[in-house]
Amino acid sequence: MNARIRVATVVAAMLMAVFGCRPADPGVVRIVSSLPRTGAAKQQTDSIVRGIRMAIDEAGGQVGPFRVEYLDLDDSTVAAGQWTSEAEAANARRALQDPDVVACIGPLNSGAAKVSMPILNFGDLLMVSPAATAVGLTKPGLGEPGEPEVYRPVGRINFVRVVPADDLQGPLSADWARRRGIRKVYVLDDGQVYGKGIADLFADRCREIGIEVLGHDAIDARAQEFKSLMARIKSSQPDLVYFGGTVQSKGGQLAKDMFSADIDAVLLVPDGCQAQAFIDSAGAAVLDGRCFVTFGGLPPERLTGKGAAFVDRYRREWGESPDGYAVYGYEAAGVVLRAIRDAGVKDRLAITSAALAISDYDGALGHWGFDENGDTTLGVLTVSVVREGRFEFAETITTSDMAAESPAE
Amino acid sequence: MSALFLLQQCLIGLTNGGLIALVALGYTMVYGVLRFINFAHGDLIMLGACAALGLVAPLGLAATGGPPSLATWLGIVAMVLLCGLFCGGLNVAVDRFVYRPLREAPALAPLVSAIGVSFIFMNIGLAWIGPADRGFPQVVPAASLLPGNGVQFGWKDLLVLVVAMPLIVGTMLLMRTTRLGKAVRAVAQDRTAAALMGIDVDRMVATTFFLAGFLGGAASVIAGLYTNTISYQMGFQNGLYAMTAAVLGGLGSIRGAVAGGFVVGLVRALSTAYAGERWTGAIVFAVLIVVLAFRPEGLLGHRVKEKV
Amino acid sequence: MAAAWKWISQRWEVVALALLAVAPLFVPALGGALGGQVTTLFIYCILALGLNVMVGYTGLLHLGIAAFFGIGAYVVAILTVPLFPFQIGWLAAAAVSIAVTAGVGFALGGPVLKLRGDALAIVTLAFGEVVKVTLRNLEQVTGGMKGLNPVPPPGAGVTVAGTDLGLAFAVDPRWFYYLALAALAGVVWAMRRLENSRLGRAWAAVREDEPAAAALGISATQVKLSAFAMSAAVAALAGCLYAATLSTTADPNAYDFNRSILVLCAVILGGLGSIPGTLLGVAILVGFDTVLIPAADSLIQQLSGAADRSSLLSLASWRLAIFGLALVLVMRYRPAGLIPSRRLAAEWGRGGR
Repeated sequence: MNARIRVATVVAAMLMAVFGCRPADPGVVRIVSSLPRTGAAKQQTDSIVRGIRMAIDEAGGQVGPFRVEYLDLDDSTVAAGQWTSEAEAANARRALQDPDVVACIGPLNSGAAKVSMPILNFGDLLMVSPAATAVGLTKPGLGEPGEPEVYRPVGRINFVRVVPADDLQGPLSADWARRRGIRKVYVLDDGQVYGKGIADLFADRCREIGIEVLGHDAIDARAQEFKSLMARIKSSQPDLVYFGGTVQSKGGQLAKDMFSADIDAVLLVPDGCQAQAFIDSAGAAVLDGRCFVTFGGLPPERLTGKGAAFVDRYRREWGESPDGYAVYGYEAAGVVLRAIRDAGVKDRLAITSAALAISDYDGALGHWGFDENGDTTLGVLTVSVVREGRFEFAETITTSDMAAESPAE
Repeated sequence: MSALFLLQQCLIGLTNGGLIALVALGYTMVYGVLRFINFAHGDLIMLGACAALGLVAPLGLAATGGPPSLATWLGIVAMVLLCGLFCGGLNVAVDRFVYRPLREAPALAPLVSAIGVSFIFMNIGLAWIGPADRGFPQVVPAASLLPGNGVQFGWKDLLVLVVAMPLIVGTMLLMRTTRLGKAVRAVAQDRTAAALMGIDVDRMVATTFFLAGFLGGAASVIAGLYTNTISYQMGFQNGLYAMTAAVLGGLGSIRGAVAGGFVVGLVRALSTAYAGERWTGAIVFAVLIVVLAFRPEGLLGHRVKEKV
Repeated sequence: MAAAWKWISQRWEVVALALLAVAPLFVPALGGALGGQVTTLFIYCILALGLNVMVGYTGLLHLGIAAFFGIGAYVVAILTVPLFPFQIGWLAAAAVSIAVTAGVGFALGGPVLKLRGDALAIVTLAFGEVVKVTLRNLEQVTGGMKGLNPVPPPGAGVTVAGTDLGLAFAVDPRWFYYLALAALAGVVWAMRRLENSRLGRAWAAVREDEPAAAALGISATQVKLSAFAMSAAVAALAGCLYAATLSTTADPNAYDFNRSILVLCAVILGGLGSIPGTLLGVAILVGFDTVLIPAADSLIQQLSGAADRSSLLSLASWRLAIFGLALVLVMRYRPAGLIPSRRLAAEWGRGGR
């Protein structure tokens, strides 16, 4: 009996192995996305996937001579409830091995990008991330030593992103704070690649332009509440609390506890918290007028042209307003389709080169292109304030503003 | 840092400790009768919190800024009772259908089943409230009861103690003085002997599960009203600290679980205040390891002789 | 036929090894994504066999095996990544890592040996959390949440017949497949030998009746400490392979309580103390999560097409419940596990029905 179970297991494993492969179809290009589809990030990735599907639908599921197929892969697992290295690596290998796959949209998390970039680089397979913003992924000299070359074992770029990197958001947020007359800040982060990276950039810029950094602590993203941390922050009397983190790393809870501790300061958070879920979990009344969110690019409701049309269509189709991630998902898929059209052939290297060559994209985010590192040329940062349970546009800052104020005082 | 700051942190620690103690009681009571750590307890509380969220509107509760009215207090009492019954009933049902068939099975079988139940609970929670954190209305305001800006002790903190302390004291009295408590303790000491004395063991075990679940349900209401956030993943962290508290105090000991709860709450608050939030998780567990290395039976546990 | 069946069932390890060794020749998918997934499965199998030493052979409940897995991965990374000056190559680093981790297991075992079953379990859980937080916070050494990367593949810089071995490993998952398979086969062989060795019998004696074992002159302390160290060493081997296949340590959350629990469930589900049981448990639980669910979901997506967007249709939304139900049902109907060990089955008198 037992022996039969053993043999059956082995046979089942072999069958599954055979099941995994299929021959190439010359008329089809397949786009995959690798995003955390289980756990706390599901809401954001739902938006992204909707954006991707809408872009493909808009093109009629066809680009040039090719029929477009889309596969929505999950880089999270049950046991973890968030992205895992294995799942991301497995998705990357799967994409690499499937001869029909010509582009991968994703990942959401910068940490996951570090896992899949070196794998997909071997196939020159185009990666377009709608959300990974850590600077080291693309920009030489700004990340760790050796970045970003360590992610490019064949020496060519295959990773681009439609979202501005953190070296825009972090420092510009500090400039915005000084403009508001902020003198003392307390910096918190969630300890993750994105959150810590952006909080460090923010704190560095603060010191550069004469804002006092009272403290910098990392939170445990699984903690239930932060009352004693807030009592500690309160005793240092900051004008502003910065949190480098996301909705999934307890941004909402942090805001709630901060304001119930009666801390007389404003809260500034980066785009990882730009989601309705952040306001819902913190409570609209709690944040009203006291919480500011930075976001690379313009917010959906202020988009014009193609962006405005997308927002309308999204509302009609889904009955709700899109968040920023939906627009980035849409834009990422748009770039992929454009690259396939420009290349005109079903060849990974040609499509990747075509994407990197895009310098004049007219998309939902406006007119932009990729620079030599594969980063977007968009240099606009939006600051929104939470009012009556919604993100309300407050102002925009651009890189040129920052240059103008940069001279040390 | 000042004495006022220390006082503030101790208050936060004690308040948190009350909540942890309530959950820890659930672990220690079940451990007492069945000798296994009920890994699903944290997620049971998560489901209780989902139920509590659903009860906010039907009970006429809403977010307010002012001091809670009599109606609010009555609503909260009703919520504690209803969520307690819900979690207690659920716990009894799980015992009946999952753990009872395993009474004579190898020691680790109930443990793995409990882990399985916790996964099932999490999936139910996921389907119930969705994947993201959900705000829980601020029915009881955070506004401080104390004058001045030095030390903050709000209505919410008061609520935790007002709900938790009577339940904790009540449980201790119930176990110590009533016939029911005596019977449960007899089952905990020796199941076979208790059965020979005419005690219906299955009923006593079910009673224990109900009490543990009831306290968990009350804890879930407090957790909702106190942290104002619930999510389908909240069971893990709640459970982990409470489990630590139960072991620290001495598994199976009611007083130990209560003491352990307050110790864990205080250690957490003080390590966040003086060592930094990033080390809190490590310090709580390091304290546990050190205490157990010197007192294997826990702070208030009994030394048990290994039988040949 | 019956004779052949008997022959196969008696030498199942050899048959399975042979089948798995030739599989990449017939299954091209093993050269791609599936190869990586199966390699991960092998690594989990090694980890589970390490845990089995503690839980199965010695009867000590261990809830923190992932910590040793993590220490193994991090030590190997520290010794090989370009960030640090050591860069001694994977093989040497793995040897150091296994020794260091065994030492850590030994050091943890010392102070907590007095603890009885469940308190010991919670201490191992606590140790796991302490290790995770420490890995996260010692950023200069561990890279914090960024982890350490890139961990070079084994044989990087060694050129055989004109090809750099490191490049070969990086390009073709079959290299890692064979490396992990070889390591797994080695561990299975070693465990088989251990089961019937003096030490293995001492473990069993302590598990079954500690005071009686002590009366026979077996030092329970030494026996338990050796189990701690052995289990840590095997977990470290798995960690070394893990870091190499991913080319990074991943972040400390990859070594948290969830992983320990998953592996523990696999060992108990398959059958405590039983090597084929442990392997089957891992194949079912880990295979379900990393191989079956993604495959099934993409199949569902392709069949239903873009028209159907209901997330309830995807298996991923229900994987927690399926997983939990499987654990509950197996424990209900086969409380001693799917393939109980003969020795333990005899002990319980009814496990092997």
